[in-house]
Amino acid sequence: MTADERFQQNKTVRGLLIALIARDLRVLVKTPWIIFSRGLAFLVQIFVFAVLMSRLVNVPGFDFFTYYAIGTVLVTVASIAFLTGYDVYEEAETGMLDYLLSLPLSRRGYVLTRAVGGALRSIIYVTPLYAIVAFIEGFSNLLDLAGSYLLIFLLATGITGLSITVALSIRDEDRFDVTLALLELFFIRFSTALYPQTFMPLAASVVAPFSPVSMTSDVVRSILGHGTVDLTVMLGLVAFVVSMLALGAAMYLRKIEGGYFD
Amino acid sequence: MTVIFQNLSKNFKNVAAVRDFNLAIEDSEIMGLLGPNGAGKTTLILTMATVYHPSEGTVIVNGYDVRRKPTLVRGMIGIAFQDPRFDRLLSVYEVLEWHAKITGVAKQVRASRLEEIMRRLGLWEIRKRRTWALSGGMKKRVEDSKVFIQRPSIAVFDEPTAYLDLQTRMLVWEMIEEMKEEGRTVILATNMMDEAEKLSDRVTIMNLGSLVALGTPSQLKQSVTGGEVIEVKPSDSAKIDLEAIKILPQIEHIVASDGVLKLFVTQGRKTLPSVLEKLSEQGVTVESVYLKEASLEDVFLQYTGSKLTS
Repeated sequence: MTADERFQQNKTVRGLLIALIARDLRVLVKTPWIIFSRGLAFLVQIFVFAVLMSRLVNVPGFDFFTYYAIGTVLVTVASIAFLTGYDVYEEAETGMLDYLLSLPLSRRGYVLTRAVGGALRSIIYVTPLYAIVAFIEGFSNLLDLAGSYLLIFLLATGITGLSITVALSIRDEDRFDVTLALLELFFIRFSTALYPQTFMPLAASVVAPFSPVSMTSDVVRSILGHGTVDLTVMLGLVAFVVSMLALGAAMYLRKIEGGYFD
Repeated sequence: MTVIFQNLSKNFKNVAAVRDFNLAIEDSEIMGLLGPNGAGKTTLILTMATVYHPSEGTVIVNGYDVRRKPTLVRGMIGIAFQDPRFDRLLSVYEVLEWHAKITGVAKQVRASRLEEIMRRLGLWEIRKRRTWALSGGMKKRVEDSKVFIQRPSIAVFDEPTAYLDLQTRMLVWEMIEEMKEEGRTVILATNMMDEAEKLSDRVTIMNLGSLVALGTPSQLKQSVTGGEVIEVKPSDSAKIDLEAIKILPQIEHIVASDGVLKLFVTQGRKTLPSVLEKLSEQGVTVESVYLKEASLEDVFLQYTGSKLTS
């Protein structure tokens, strides 16, 4: 294959991957009511709940409103990233997956684009919300904002990979719903996104550091607060993303190998 | 040869969906694929399209082995699924435009081809409508349009005219024939005998995952023992003693299905009075009786022992 042919082929593959991601995003803009309702929920969370709680919680040197506002962005990203699992489950059940898998894409490319598409969808959802938080809190260092944005994207990609894995591992609809809900509960509620580890009940405080949502929340706060990054936590997050993507890809291949919902 | 199935088997756990399947489909041929639900038609198509890995054997598509060059093979095949497969939230135009884009329809011709096919199939006026709001027939037109717009080297249609009115059905047939004239190979999975007979150069009959018969429609009809069929609808089929009828020398084979007896015979005109006489002797009242040449339906019945549901 000549360099020119290789370039053309890569261009085609890129075009296909972009088209697949664009599909995810196109479906997203077709559901403005979901964006609106989630946006509204977010605003109520920070302007009612966070304001109220920050008045009730009075710890010297600790600004609960800022803490909660950043955490809410992370929680919203995580819960939207989980939605990709529901999409994939529905696609497998309705046969849409057969169609998608018959398209001229490599399996690896397909899984990667589903994860990235799901992550981008989450990012697009929260961008206006993140902008509100940044504006209120006066986060203006562009480098810090870009770094935190990248971390949020990584978290969304990893959770999308996880939700795809679950969607392709469980056949029973009720079990699938319960499993995803439990994972969401563990990842979000047992995390340091919305409350600091020091104030958590013992059981929750033991598991909280292992939640990727905790890792991301802590690093994002650290970047936005004093421009520093804990490399160990960063590595943990990257390991989560890579392992979830690998698991998602492996599940896809297993399903294709054996056929699914047969 | 465009597509060669070589000793192909596909198992799902302990269930053999396709068993040791061998078939060669010629270039620019319309190959009809007949079989009841669960015969393995869809599994066969999806294995060829590299959605499933073969358990044993392989499929060669335009010279490429599906096991070795799956992504390349995917680019050569377009499938119009039996049940429409597209995003419910997107409009008709968006669904088709996306399909054209992702299957590599050149940008220069994309818009004009979309418009041409959509106008022909009566979708242009409703192009902005979201697909969830469409009737079953309209959804089917959208599904078929995907392949007509894509114009792949190998076009697969799974029940292309289900839910369609007669006029649209004939139009879809015409468009499928045009694909053949353009040099494309068409695989047509159908439960409709008239469709298979009208469009197919050759027909493959599948049952329980295996190929049970292959030939042109006329070859298959000639293969029916006797070549003629007496179809009798008795008032009470349970009363009939089939053995007493089978002794008539012109009767080759009898199949009872859904309260109707099909007698595969030679010299039907001569045999018919004897059959009626035998039934009368058994006290059976006949509601209706037909003598006809064997059809593809009869071929199917002979090879599989069951009727093809449509």
